[in-house]
Amino acid sequence: MFEAGVLNVVLFLPLLGAALLLVSPDSHDAYTRRLTLAVMIVQFVLTAWLYTRFDSHVAGLQFETRLPWIAAWGVNYQIGLDGYNVLLVLMTAFLGPLVVAGAFSAITKDVKLFYAMVFLIQFAMMGAFLAQDLFLFYVFWETMLIPMFLMIGIWGGERRIYATIKFFLYTAFGSILMLAAVIYLVYSLQTTSGVISFAFADLVKARLPLDVQSWLLAAFALSFAIKVPMVPLHTWLPDAHVEAPTAGSVILAGVLLKMGTYGFMKLGFPLFPDATLAFTPVLMTLAVVSIVYGACLALVQDDIKKIIAYSSISHLGYVMLGLLSLDIVGIQGAVIQMVSHGLVAAGLFLMVGMIYERCHTRELAAYGGLAKLLPVYSVFFMILTLASVGLPTTSGFTGEFLVLLGAFKAAWPQHVLGNSLPLVLAVVAVSGVVLGALYMLRFALGFLFGAAKAPHQPLPDLNGREKTILGLIIVAVFALGLFPDEPMRKSELAARSYKQLVSTPRLPRSAP
Amino acid sequence: MISQAVLTAMLPEHLLLLGIVLLLILAIAGHGQRASLFVGLASVAAAAVAAACLSLGGYAAAPFAGHFSVDPAGLLAKAMVLALALPVLLMSRDDFSDGEFPILLLSSLYGVCLMQSADSMPTLFLGLEIMSLPVYVLVLLAHRRPQSAEAALKYLVLGGTATAMFLMGVSLLYGASGSMSLTIFANALGSTDNMARAAVVLVILAFFLKGAIVPFHAWAPDAYEGASVPVTAYMAVLVKAAVILAAVRLFGQAKVSSPLLELLAVLPLVSIAWGNLAAMRQPSFRRMIAYSSIAHAGYLFFALLGEPAGRLQAVAFYVLAYGLLNLLAFAALPPAQSDRQRDRLENLKGLFHRAPFSALMIGIAMLSLAGIPPFPGFIGKFLIFRNVVAAGHTTYAVLGLVGSYLGIYFYLRVIQFMFMSPDASVAADHRSRRLALGASLLCLAGAMWVSVFPGWVIALF
Repeated sequence: MFEAGVLNVVLFLPLLGAALLLVSPDSHDAYTRRLTLAVMIVQFVLTAWLYTRFDSHVAGLQFETRLPWIAAWGVNYQIGLDGYNVLLVLMTAFLGPLVVAGAFSAITKDVKLFYAMVFLIQFAMMGAFLAQDLFLFYVFWETMLIPMFLMIGIWGGERRIYATIKFFLYTAFGSILMLAAVIYLVYSLQTTSGVISFAFADLVKARLPLDVQSWLLAAFALSFAIKVPMVPLHTWLPDAHVEAPTAGSVILAGVLLKMGTYGFMKLGFPLFPDATLAFTPVLMTLAVVSIVYGACLALVQDDIKKIIAYSSISHLGYVMLGLLSLDIVGIQGAVIQMVSHGLVAAGLFLMVGMIYERCHTRELAAYGGLAKLLPVYSVFFMILTLASVGLPTTSGFTGEFLVLLGAFKAAWPQHVLGNSLPLVLAVVAVSGVVLGALYMLRFALGFLFGAAKAPHQPLPDLNGREKTILGLIIVAVFALGLFPDEPMRKSELAARSYKQLVSTPRLPRSAP
Repeated sequence: MISQAVLTAMLPEHLLLLGIVLLLILAIAGHGQRASLFVGLASVAAAAVAAACLSLGGYAAAPFAGHFSVDPAGLLAKAMVLALALPVLLMSRDDFSDGEFPILLLSSLYGVCLMQSADSMPTLFLGLEIMSLPVYVLVLLAHRRPQSAEAALKYLVLGGTATAMFLMGVSLLYGASGSMSLTIFANALGSTDNMARAAVVLVILAFFLKGAIVPFHAWAPDAYEGASVPVTAYMAVLVKAAVILAAVRLFGQAKVSSPLLELLAVLPLVSIAWGNLAAMRQPSFRRMIAYSSIAHAGYLFFALLGEPAGRLQAVAFYVLAYGLLNLLAFAALPPAQSDRQRDRLENLKGLFHRAPFSALMIGIAMLSLAGIPPFPGFIGKFLIFRNVVAAGHTTYAVLGLVGSYLGIYFYLRVIQFMFMSPDASVAADHRSRRLALGASLLCLAGAMWVSVFPGWVIALF
């Protein structure tokens, strides 16, 4: 029970932090920064402790809290850790202090408001991962948009208003249809089984005809696919990333995009298994298109932030592929890939932010030979680049390799039975790895090597704060790459339950 | 016996009446505005508390059988509407220096209360008129603007049209059924008789006109813009609330079926879409709120499509959430040199740096009106659309939700102005605004309570 209390503290700590900022004096920016960092570190320590207490042999929820919220509709405040969310929660808490520390020197305008927004977004993201009740999940899911909207809009680049409104309107459109689907889903559960509940555990028991399942899946998938984002719903992402301040990009790439894939894994596919199976070819094709198309676009960008933004589309395509393969290895690979991409993309965006603070341009052509100018920076950058490419021993390798392995394992029996589409898609997905190496190495080559040039010289190399931030990320990247066993055990039972939920038909009993 | 029931059941109304009499005496005696504001606040608060206490005590009575009756749910709605009037009174200090504002407001509230308890068509009509007449005057009272007279006249003429349509409908209903009871409307809803049908349509259209549903909405932007801030707030929140709650009472337990279903679905849908689209291009804050309120009237009338059992609950919650946040926006609107200046949306630019509290309050209000969680507007919207789905009109519910999506942009634009645009360099006005601050804190506290414990409100109805 004590752990459940700690989990609540973890969730509400950022809200408390925002309240503390509200009452703190206006002009003490240094105090604001230290306070925010301290709260975030406490949150991470508590989360890490919970992670060690998390029992990987127990299926289902642990450290659960369940209180009636809107009793008349069966809405509960229900949170808990399970194999689905435990790694993502840990990653979110890990990135929190790094985001805060990374913004120390970049944000000088409206500092208090900025950190209040960081707190709110951290609160909403934690809440969305921890929520076990669809209503609660939806509330957190939408709440996330507000601080992100302000963050891009206030501290963003030149076209920030356009980017942030595009971001909000895109994601809100998906959400509004998801809301309709939520209402319909709960209502049909009520009429078919008499249970009024929003709990995930009850909703997965709903037996719906295929056409209803398809409509509902379409609504949920639209919302999640916009967040992931999957081609062709990705166009908000480059704008949002490019215009967002570094902290915004890190949160977007690190955690927010995982909301989409997490939503698919936790809700979208398990709630509507029959529709999922029917649409798997389409969804899988879109996932592979995302991998290849994202990589191709990353290959031709001149803006360094855009390269990483498009690479995110490509990397998250692997997650979708792994989830859709319905092979235990592939699913676990998808989970690892989510965490890995969170770490690597966060690190890369932080590094782009650091160079941007020094030179105020994101043009790839403006840079060259940074290895000579900024040796320490270049070492960190090279490591993260290789992690992004998927060099063995880094986390990127573990994730992508397992996903591809799973995809082939699942595709081969189908190929033998005469359905070669999954196999073709898996083969095409492999080419994404090659393309990934191509665009990242092209990026690193132009950036770090060649004739030394930079818009501002001399450039100060990384300071202690920056080294610490990047060092921590790189430690995490290698830890996940070299010892993936422990985290994979924590999520294994969830992967099995996901596979079971999606592969068991759930049409109405009376159906012919 | 009867006299005691009259005394208890109409206690909220009596308290309002007492307040009006006291205010008149104060006005004759020439006492200042401070005292009259206090008397107005005290009597509205007392009336709200009385209604809430009666409701929580489970009081039900019919002091004038067949004309006026109270029941716990109706009393609670009454208490809620009366409580929403408190911030309006509080924020009136800036715009009205004389004692006439509280008198007119209380008179109008008397009509609002009457409507919530009406059992017969004449009582409902009486309530409707007592509510409306003072508002025409209130719109005119904003001396500062030449448009006020035009706005008031427009409102008066269209209000008269609504009255005429309502009376015509009622007389047709009387002709068809020989009764003046409120239930004849619900009975006529399912009727196939042409006269009854025509009567029902006339009554519904009268309500649409009063509630500003497209295509009967054109008066609203002009009236809202021409009136002063507290009057606009009163029209946007309380008049609308009274009208829709009366409509819910009128519909009773009747389920809407075709062909009325289409009327009740399509016009509110058009309202939602048009209100939200037209609001995008407004340069004036009050005009924008007018179009936003047209869209919100669409959601509210949409609720009539829903399951009869959950209608009052959904509408009452929505009215509460919408009312609190709308009033919050008006109360937090910063003062300016002139009323026209204050009304310009452009003047909100950079507000966060001049008045962070106001900017945050207006921001929260806008997000809630847009229906974004965790603010209470979302739960209100959820209730209404859930109810519509429960009645089997899934397509309409989806269309309504998509329509509500159209509204997000213009609410975001206000936030963009306040937080993301450079300062508008407005000369600051340093009048003391303690009362308006009190009004916004009151609304904020209410809004937070409703969004953290929505179950508490829902369980009451």
